[in-house]
Amino acid sequence: MRPVLLLLVLLLLPCSALAEGFSGYAELKGFAYGERFAGEPYGAGWGTLYNKWEQRLAENQFTASVRAEWLTSPQTSPIVLDPADRKLRRPPLSVPELWLRVPLAPSHDLEFGRFQLGWGKTDGYSPADAFLPRDVTDPFADEKLPLWAVRLSGQEENLRYQAVLVPVTTPWRLPPLGSRNAPIASGALPAGTRFQEVDDAPPLPGFVALRLLATHGDWDLGVWARSGVRPAPILEFSLDPALQTGPVPVLSVARRYPREHGVGVEVSRVAGPYVLRGEAAALFSGDRDLGDALIGTLSVERGFGDGTLLITLAGNAIAPPVDRTLLFDRGLLPALIVAWNQTEEWGAWKLVWDCGLERGDGLLKGEVGYNVTDTWKVTVGGDLPYGSDRGPLGALHWARRLVAAVRRSW
Amino acid sequence: MTRKGFKPLLLLLAAALLLPLPSTPTFAGTDARSLLKESESRHRTKTQQYSGDLTVVNKEGKIRKKGWNSYRQGYAGDSKNLIRFTDPPEVKGVGFLSLPRPGSDNPDQWLYLPSMKRERRIAPQDRDASFVGTDFNYEDMEEFDHEKYKVSLQGEETVGGQPCWVITAIPLEKGSKSIYQKLILYLRKDILYLVREDLIRKGDKEPAKRLILSDIKNVEGHYVAARMEMTDLKKGSHTTVTLKQISFNRPQPTSRFTLQNLTREGGD
Repeated sequence: MRPVLLLLVLLLLPCSALAEGFSGYAELKGFAYGERFAGEPYGAGWGTLYNKWEQRLAENQFTASVRAEWLTSPQTSPIVLDPADRKLRRPPLSVPELWLRVPLAPSHDLEFGRFQLGWGKTDGYSPADAFLPRDVTDPFADEKLPLWAVRLSGQEENLRYQAVLVPVTTPWRLPPLGSRNAPIASGALPAGTRFQEVDDAPPLPGFVALRLLATHGDWDLGVWARSGVRPAPILEFSLDPALQTGPVPVLSVARRYPREHGVGVEVSRVAGPYVLRGEAAALFSGDRDLGDALIGTLSVERGFGDGTLLITLAGNAIAPPVDRTLLFDRGLLPALIVAWNQTEEWGAWKLVWDCGLERGDGLLKGEVGYNVTDTWKVTVGGDLPYGSDRGPLGALHWARRLVAAVRRSW
Repeated sequence: MTRKGFKPLLLLLAAALLLPLPSTPTFAGTDARSLLKESESRHRTKTQQYSGDLTVVNKEGKIRKKGWNSYRQGYAGDSKNLIRFTDPPEVKGVGFLSLPRPGSDNPDQWLYLPSMKRERRIAPQDRDASFVGTDFNYEDMEEFDHEKYKVSLQGEETVGGQPCWVITAIPLEKGSKSIYQKLILYLRKDILYLVREDLIRKGDKEPAKRLILSDIKNVEGHYVAARMEMTDLKKGSHTTVTLKQISFNRPQPTSRFTLQNLTREGGD
């Protein structure tokens, strides 16, 4: 059965829940682009089937999930299952979660397996969180990748800790270079330049991190430190004479993963109807292309009825040694992020404005979700990158699109 | 009037219930304040936990459902609360933790969103905002503290076949501003239990919303309404809440009301 037919069947199945402890969804998503780009079509489709199993085993918690996908574009990995997400392209099958949590004491836990981390305080951009690997195959989705890791966490009174060991590097996954989702700025290379991306293995060791958190009155405070391999690659372009067999140049693209050490502080405070959040991080690397960074963020959040306004300002006090768009998580800095989320009786909608303050590029994003029932949801929206194509968002102007999705959850 | 801040769904409505002795007492020199005080003293429980189902029906008849587990330790302004949504799938695992802060009307509140994998401190909510898309707003979720109202006994009326005291409660407007001009409480005379509440908004003469509490059960020596229905009389929608697996005064693990527990996926 073709994958799309399988998804349609799953969407139309009458059951509302498979069993206690099982949840998931089937989703069909379509993209309509405003322009063709380098032979890519006006439209694309993604189908996703996601299933999650959660089980209590005495005092322990076991969770496993599997995601199956079918993409018309961009290309997917020829390898069906990539259990650590270390390959260049998105695999048709993935295991987003596979972990066991064992309580060591009433407020102390040990978790190991594959799970996602979420750090930091500021929404929109957090230096504590931004370095964690993303899959930006869809550059507007901000999809975080899970990690194989061991985490020890606990709480005593108002103090909490998290110690994380990530033995395997899960790298950022990028769209095919030269595609509409990862274009090269016009004029940077001869027209028609092709890229040969090298699927070499990222380094095996990952990173270690320690996070300490405290709550005192209106204040939530935190400090963290981490050391190890940075999951975002440094791209290295080279002209291999052996590849120059056609009329257009072919560039070989390799990936390098420098080590980086970082320390940071995070704070949030309730002030009347506002929540103020801030972070600062100092990042050190001996790498010639990555350099050091001193990143700060400030955000303010306020609820208005059934809506929430969030404004975040983020910046890096140290200019990077290379074009910042090549540093991915730091590409947009300094940036202003404004988001409005509104809940309605029929569903929800949101508007997001990401604005690069240096190059003046940005992204306007709108989304409306209509709850047909508690298990059926229809979402429509659009992504409108704008501005200078030298900025990371402005460069995506070929990817301006409308999105429509239907999801059936259970 | 001051309130105790946002509290989880129906936990607080349940807390507003005036739990009673099974026999009908005689109240010499009956007045609203003494009735409410007596009800409150009977109502207090050290802990409470239940599973709740919530159904929202809008005026077109469209139905939405939600499910959650609720845990409380302590009472009124000193209570710790944890809520974990179980249904629908889109909100499964979302957690809400509220801890009292000495000397403050507003408790500390955090929300855990599984999609973000971290907890977020949240500010006291807009009191007129809808609570998770229901006909309850955040003020409706707050605990009813009669000391923050001017109360008066209006008379007696029969509700659902049961004789009731009718008490009006006007916010004293100390601290947080109420969105209501007046509440009309219907207290069952035999068990001093709230069975109906009419909520009149400022500037209105007629109730904007009506809360009906029914299916009253005696669970472990405490009365509790297993069904509550809030009707928005202007919008024509209503929200029904049913409580299951209710228990009182069972010891709660001290680790339950912690941020560590809030962030445990698949946990309580």
